[in-house]
Amino acid sequence: MNEPAIHAEHLQKRYGDTLAVADVSLRVEPGEVLGILGTNGAGKTTTVEMIAGLRTPDSGQVTVFGLDPRRDRAALRQVLGVQLQKAQLHDTLTVVELVNLYRSFYPDPRPTDELLDLVELGSQRRTRFDKLSGGQQQRLSIALALAGRPRVVILDELTTGLDPRARRRMWTSIESLTEETVVLVSHAMDEVERLCDRVAVIDAGRVVALDTCAGIIRRAGTAGLEDAFVALTGKELEHENDEENAA
Amino acid sequence: MTTSTTTLPARRPGIGSWLMLIRCEAKMVARDTAGLVVPIGLPLLILVMNASMAADEEVVAGRSALDIYVLPIVFTIVIATIGVINMPSFLATYRKTGVLRRLAVTPAHPAMVLIAQVVVSLLQAIVGITLAFGVALVFFDATLPMHAGAALGVVALTIAAMYALGMVVAAVAPTPNAALAFGLVGFFALGALGGMFGGQDSLPDTLARLGEWLPFGAAVDALSHAWMGESVDASNILVLIAFTVVGGLVAALFFRWDR
Repeated sequence: MNEPAIHAEHLQKRYGDTLAVADVSLRVEPGEVLGILGTNGAGKTTTVEMIAGLRTPDSGQVTVFGLDPRRDRAALRQVLGVQLQKAQLHDTLTVVELVNLYRSFYPDPRPTDELLDLVELGSQRRTRFDKLSGGQQQRLSIALALAGRPRVVILDELTTGLDPRARRRMWTSIESLTEETVVLVSHAMDEVERLCDRVAVIDAGRVVALDTCAGIIRRAGTAGLEDAFVALTGKELEHENDEENAA
Repeated sequence: MTTSTTTLPARRPGIGSWLMLIRCEAKMVARDTAGLVVPIGLPLLILVMNASMAADEEVVAGRSALDIYVLPIVFTIVIATIGVINMPSFLATYRKTGVLRRLAVTPAHPAMVLIAQVVVSLLQAIVGITLAFGVALVFFDATLPMHAGAALGVVALTIAAMYALGMVVAAVAPTPNAALAFGLVGFFALGALGGMFGGQDSLPDTLARLGEWLPFGAAVDALSHAWMGESVDASNILVLIAFTVVGGLVAALFFRWDR
């Protein structure tokens, strides 16, 4: 039987009195692009942090290509590339210095130029991280996530805060990832519809739907994904400019 | 549960990766120009301001006040400013901005950054001490310590003690600003009690005695003895060792990788 790229069963995580993730089960096939869609605070980030081994679930199980994120931490790090929502980098290092630093962590890294081309940062190679625009910083972060030729890539809020042109460029970069399994956390409908093979809609820490975009729309009996989302969760998705107050 | 677990070598980053990280930390430190002023500039300033008068004042045979009072203080300032102020402020910033968290999802353990930062701080201390000593030797006729081995040993222990304290600052400071504040207050408190502002003799008795039991005062005292060729007090050595051990333990207990 085909081994899933990611297999999560009944994940649960509580912070103090808050139940961040109540019950999340997912199965992601190798090569698939799975979108995780939900409002702020729905439990998206906590879910992927458990997959990445940054947080230990209170209960439930998760494996990535059969590896336990906590027990097989070192092995997992070789197959997983992660772009974190809020993580920053050494801010006075240049693009090429950061790329080469992250490449050095892996046994068989992608060539520097290939990575820079992939995220269209070739002409910024000597620019310091703190001098890059928000979109360029995000793109560099993706390049670093891909440095070690990961089999699974987790991208958290990939295009939040980017202007429309920067978002489209980012999408093109993601579309060029044909081998990798991708988990894309987002609250942007257009992004999920364009990039993802299937979508998990998460609401209040639970998976309320897991299907192709078309399947979700069909099941909700609505005209589009956005209406389907509202029908499933009873909530409107925030738009870009709400992000600041929601964080 | 699947049993056909993909076998992958759980490889840790090798020596190339370590060197790369140390180089990157060094570049970060070098590009933080303002951060270099205190550990390199301040000791030089103190040296130059005191040297000409102190160099003429012979305290014991062949050793001037410059050798046995000024140089020990200058060296200790270099080590303390780097260890207690600069290093923790880098580490607190890395934690705050998520650099450590980002590394935690790569095969590199965030501890690698800590160690690389310590190595770079060490190089910085060597540069600072060499520079100050060079100026003192060339322009002010300073002498080498009579007990060179003892002096080197004391410098090494002082580095260990101050860096351990710096790790405590990095561990307990909630923000980079707090780290800087704790570091500065810690440095000036240790320095004031250790004779940085005009010798321990000018302090009230109790404070002077307290200063001897803190790493700054202990380091200055021990270096002074090494220069004069007297044997270093065991109590000074004990103080430095105790701060290293206790500081290291406290830092290890309280250090957080994440905000």
